[in-house]
Amino acid sequence: MGLERDEVVGMPTGAATIHIERGPVSRFAKGVTDSSPVYQSTEAAREAGFDSIPAPPTFTFAAAHWGTYPEDQPEDPTGGRGNPIRKLMSELMAEGGLVLHGEQEFLYHKPVQIGDTLHQEGKIVDLYSKEAKGKTMTFLVMETVYRDDAGDPVVTERFNLIHRK
Amino acid sequence: MAKPIAKLRYDEISEGDEGPTVSHELTRSDLVAYAGVSGDMNPMHTDEVSAKAAGLPSVFGHGMFSMGLLARALTDWAGVGNLTEYRVRFTKQTWPGEVLTTRIVVTGKEQTEDGKRIRVEVGLANQDGESKLAGSATIVAC
Repeated sequence: MGLERDEVVGMPTGAATIHIERGPVSRFAKGVTDSSPVYQSTEAAREAGFDSIPAPPTFTFAAAHWGTYPEDQPEDPTGGRGNPIRKLMSELMAEGGLVLHGEQEFLYHKPVQIGDTLHQEGKIVDLYSKEAKGKTMTFLVMETVYRDDAGDPVVTERFNLIHRK
Repeated sequence: MAKPIAKLRYDEISEGDEGPTVSHELTRSDLVAYAGVSGDMNPMHTDEVSAKAAGLPSVFGHGMFSMGLLARALTDWAGVGNLTEYRVRFTKQTWPGEVLTTRIVVTGKEQTEDGKRIRVEVGLANQDGESKLAGSATIVAC
């Protein structure tokens, strides 16, 4: 394998300030077939115990696509090099094979609600290989933490990419 | 301070209990809609011409659409905001025309320092029983 674990683990993948907004949250819910009024109506959200409309469980995975504006972005932790995952995967793909989204995990510490500002930071946390059915599987694990303005964690995501050759 | 209302009653839930299922026939429109709301514009999910040129039989579903569909089954049952953990493995790709059905099975429960918790095994499979997602979740109960 061309990648060395020590060189890869700990690499930052990016950072963003993300505003959680009503349109994206409400449309996202419909986009995963969820018609719950809690995602559409402030009144229904309050009745369900929220201060404002909450985000569906997998929303943070797509959140940086929305509500990310140039005026309040943090300093780029990659130093302008961009997310290293793409480069690492293309190094693996140079040997052929297939890249798959293998596993996805969410840990929920607090609700995500419209009006929140989340501070996202990602890094590579693991790299390992396994042999299975005559194929080499290389696993690249990225962890993304979303914090509130006070710095408390709101959601932690672990994203696991597999290169199979 | 938000305090989501839990719907599952700890005392009424036992190991082996199953949550209600959700079934959904996957369409190409679902894939286009999910690409739009998620920003995942990989053409393998939305562009049949590109997908066939890449040797695939058709476009295929976003894994995160499947995870979102299964999340809906969980929150319909447990109440929105009552998950503390949710994880899946993507076991197979999904294809337009497949009928995807969720499965939730209680594997245990415990009283923690933070409150009552129910652990479940979750899955998503097509009409032939082929597994698409396999995972687990932890639910806040009252």
